[in-house]
Amino acid sequence: MTLDPWDHELRGGLTPEQKAKHPKGGRSGFIGAFNEHFHANDLENPYTEVKPFMWVRAHQIGGRSLLWGKQTYRWSDLDFEANAKDGHGVDWPIRYKDIEPWYTYVEKFAGISGEAIGLPQLPDSHFLPPMELNCVEKHVKERIEKDFKGRNMIIGRVAHLTEPLNGRGKCQFRNRCDRGCPYGAYFSSNAVTLPAAHATGNLTIRPFSIVQSVVYDEQKGKASGVRIIDAETSEEIVYKAKIIFVNASTLSTTQILMNSTSSRFPNGLGNDSGELGHNLMDHTYRVGAMGTVEGFEDQYYKGRRPNGIYIPRYVNLKDGPQSDKFVRGFGFQGGGGRAGWGAGSNQEAFGGDFKDGLMKPGPWEFFITGFSECLPYHENQVYLNKDVLDKWGQPTLSIDAEWKANELALNDQARQDAKEMLERAGLKDVMEFDNKHEMGFGIHEMGTARMGRDPKTSVLNGNNQVHGCENVFVTDGACMTSSSCVNPSLTYMALTARAANHAVSELKKMNL
Amino acid sequence: MNRRDALKKSALALGAAAGAPTLLSLLQSCAQQDRLTWTPQFLSEDHSRFLSSFVDFLLPKTETPGGLDVKADIFIDLMYAKTYDEASQKQVVADIEKFNSDCKAKYGKVFADLSEGDKKAVFEEHEANSPKFPKTVWGGSVGPREPVGFYRSLKSTVLWAYFSSEEIGKNVLSYDPIPGEYRGCMPLSEVGNTWSL
Repeated sequence: MTLDPWDHELRGGLTPEQKAKHPKGGRSGFIGAFNEHFHANDLENPYTEVKPFMWVRAHQIGGRSLLWGKQTYRWSDLDFEANAKDGHGVDWPIRYKDIEPWYTYVEKFAGISGEAIGLPQLPDSHFLPPMELNCVEKHVKERIEKDFKGRNMIIGRVAHLTEPLNGRGKCQFRNRCDRGCPYGAYFSSNAVTLPAAHATGNLTIRPFSIVQSVVYDEQKGKASGVRIIDAETSEEIVYKAKIIFVNASTLSTTQILMNSTSSRFPNGLGNDSGELGHNLMDHTYRVGAMGTVEGFEDQYYKGRRPNGIYIPRYVNLKDGPQSDKFVRGFGFQGGGGRAGWGAGSNQEAFGGDFKDGLMKPGPWEFFITGFSECLPYHENQVYLNKDVLDKWGQPTLSIDAEWKANELALNDQARQDAKEMLERAGLKDVMEFDNKHEMGFGIHEMGTARMGRDPKTSVLNGNNQVHGCENVFVTDGACMTSSSCVNPSLTYMALTARAANHAVSELKKMNL
Repeated sequence: MNRRDALKKSALALGAAAGAPTLLSLLQSCAQQDRLTWTPQFLSEDHSRFLSSFVDFLLPKTETPGGLDVKADIFIDLMYAKTYDEASQKQVVADIEKFNSDCKAKYGKVFADLSEGDKKAVFEEHEANSPKFPKTVWGGSVGPREPVGFYRSLKSTVLWAYFSSEEIGKNVLSYDPIPGEYRGCMPLSEVGNTWSL
């Protein structure tokens, strides 16, 4: 957790043996020696890309909560009403007012830093103090907000403590989050929810357990437990439970439900509608612009801030002008900083002066990259593949999904807007880019077991219970009915707290 | 006073004392001691001579340590041995041999044996003809990416080996493993050199 690059024999480099374990997840560009152990072995856990899809998986305790980007934003009714208004996908069974108290609940528990600015499309959270913008970010913010009415640039809202909370320490600005935080300063299951669960005295963790399926009791008409495979011994064990939350991270959740077949549910648990596995969504990634900022040569910063800037959605707002090229919208993340010695690779120079020049920070650079909403398409799907088995002999997933015209049109606009904003903000050498990454790169898999009002067209009800098997809940990304353009994690957290509260109340009423 | 300043100041103070070795020369003697007994893990003797001379010409010793002082070449050989797969290792050998044979064809000697002037001409030629790396965002390149060729790729590796070394990271660049706070705007003069982490 505290090693400097030179403390590691290969300074963060991976051996060929380590690289060979991550032919798929390694495409993310995020795997290095200090976090390699947090990434699942692709060879033991294969999946099939019917169309290209980069799937990042983390199978240790804490899962991807150790690796996430920590950007945390509330959704609004612009998002919860979107499907009903433009007819893509099915209607969310909830509205903002249903989830608002639970946003508040989880924000106070998790600790979210940010600045309140009162935008209807991006409701404010209960905030810890915001992190600071640097000189150049402040400068670009002023220019953009002056030149583009209705656009805002804010410091990212993040699940990092900027003040101690409930015994957790605050962020020390080391930016070594992907190793796990020794201060518990960012929200992870390991630092926050598991300790809270442990404190109740009712927590038992059973690591090295691969959930094979949910066991359905035909007589009682509900689930009676889960069947697991011990990852080390391959022993099968059944655990009994009154209620079950299946939150294995979107696609793995759906894989478990698909594996959970019975006379009542021959096509997978809760799949009366035939929608299980369908409507897979993600956010687009690496489309935007970057450039250099002149001036501020005598200014610098201190600390490695695990956060950047955010430009909330400004297109197709409720009362604003509507685009004729696409529905929904996009937001931007980004940030500014001074170039380091790495810039030396491209300099047409060498020798002593070249070397000594690299000791000083280089020019200021600034970039923004768009995150566009992805519509729920029935044909973007995953399904069980019984020809490719994992290390434990279990069927794996085939993933068959792609961006379509609306996402590409959103990205086109995001790229053009990014360039325009940076140019008008006075940046030099502005370069626009659209890497046209396949789905999965956003690492925001959503859908495949969606919530809905009608059991005929959805897998989960408005309280995240499986239609027809109400003592099973799904509150991870699989439950999402639409994707918004806003990072989804805070919404998973709020939906989880809301569903847990519902489960307890139903248990008390003896309804489950 | 941070650690870097402390070291700088103590080095100055030591240097001012009659004949006392400076911190820099202490580092060098340590490196030289190792160099005498260095057996490359991957490269042949000829190829390691090439690498050492490339490192030394790209990043010579000035007031700050040179590439050889921080054993950049020794580290790169280790990288070749432990992080390159077989195909990449073969490619490196072929690239070094091509680099040397080009030098031989044009200047009559392998790179390590060229005069300073000829080495300069070789580097200038490669700088002018080697494609550049694309910009990167969040660990991935943006825009089209074409191979940069052996010269620029090795240059980049040497910079990494140099700047990620403990001597440079802790004692030359500004080192602050636990900043404890984020200050968005402060005078560069209060920091000095670029942050190492």
